[in-house]
Amino acid sequence: MSLKYVTITTGFENYMPKDYVDLVRFGQFGKEYDIQELGTFKELVEEHPMCAGCFMAYFIRVFYASLPNPEDTIVIGTAGCARLALSQAAVPFIYGNYGDTNAVASGLKRALKIRFPDKEKDVVVVAGDGGLMDIGFGMTMHSWFRRENFTTIMVDNEVYGNTGGQESGMTRKGIQLKMAPKGKKFDKINAIELAKDAGCVYVARVAPTNPKRLAKTIKRAILAARHFGPTFIHAYTSCNIEYSIPTEKVLEDARMREKQDFSFVEWMTDEVKEYFEQIENTKKEEKQKV
Amino acid sequence: MYYVAETKIDKCSTYKCNQCVLFCPEPNTLMFLEQKNFAYVNQSRCKGCAICVYVCGDLLKRNCIEMVMATVSE
Repeated sequence: MSLKYVTITTGFENYMPKDYVDLVRFGQFGKEYDIQELGTFKELVEEHPMCAGCFMAYFIRVFYASLPNPEDTIVIGTAGCARLALSQAAVPFIYGNYGDTNAVASGLKRALKIRFPDKEKDVVVVAGDGGLMDIGFGMTMHSWFRRENFTTIMVDNEVYGNTGGQESGMTRKGIQLKMAPKGKKFDKINAIELAKDAGCVYVARVAPTNPKRLAKTIKRAILAARHFGPTFIHAYTSCNIEYSIPTEKVLEDARMREKQDFSFVEWMTDEVKEYFEQIENTKKEEKQKV
Repeated sequence: MYYVAETKIDKCSTYKCNQCVLFCPEPNTLMFLEQKNFAYVNQSRCKGCAICVYVCGDLLKRNCIEMVMATVSE
């Protein structure tokens, strides 16, 4: 697919917004970068108001850097911390009402298919544990039952971080929080098993400790959603404020949780597996030719 | 008055490494200069979380980044 439409017509460089010109010259528009090249190009996401050392902000940074086709992607978010950074990027962002994200994404994806029948437009929902597994549970589940072609990413901080620290369905059993002093009485929801049963074709659980693997997972989830059906990523993005993690220990905490209960899981249907094998084989062949 | 990260450029350029850049939560903040092979900090954007110090010091034992008090440039 040609991305020539993002390039600037000669003579108009001085009149285009500086950010846009930078993104075409030194950034991700029209080019594909490897995640290992982070820090050498201008990223899609810009300065955002998320807390210092927030690993959700880190996840969002990697997420934007690993979009397979940012020029044709629409991101949908909702109330919660993630929207603060998601909305600061050079990618169209839609704010769904709390809980509505997957319903909005379903309609949007269908409309885009009718409007642009010969073009791949990616729709990605990035919302928190509250938006997807508590308040938006019904709409999330039904979008999966209907097998809608878009990606759902849950950035799970295990708490309602924006509103002072209430427990969510994803909080672990026994955890005490500022607005839940008695400790949680029930187990954490097993989101990835729910996603498998509800009809997702690609399901992954990941802690952001390895940027290369994280980028690969995000890319795969978006590519699988284009052709096969709903895809889901469950990402651990700790809240260092509500869980009182010192900022310099945030990565250490993620590594610890990865060993305990957030180990990397990747599950996909056979047809998706075949599709990825095909893509990787053609890439290898191209490399050999070069 | 707050701390920001600063790389020791001479020491940093001796390693072929950009691991701190890969773990910074802030976009366009901790940058990597490929030609000269070192990382540098855009201090007006740094929020001072010190994750880069953990990566460079605790994980890799290279100690090329430290936290310094932010100064106002005139």
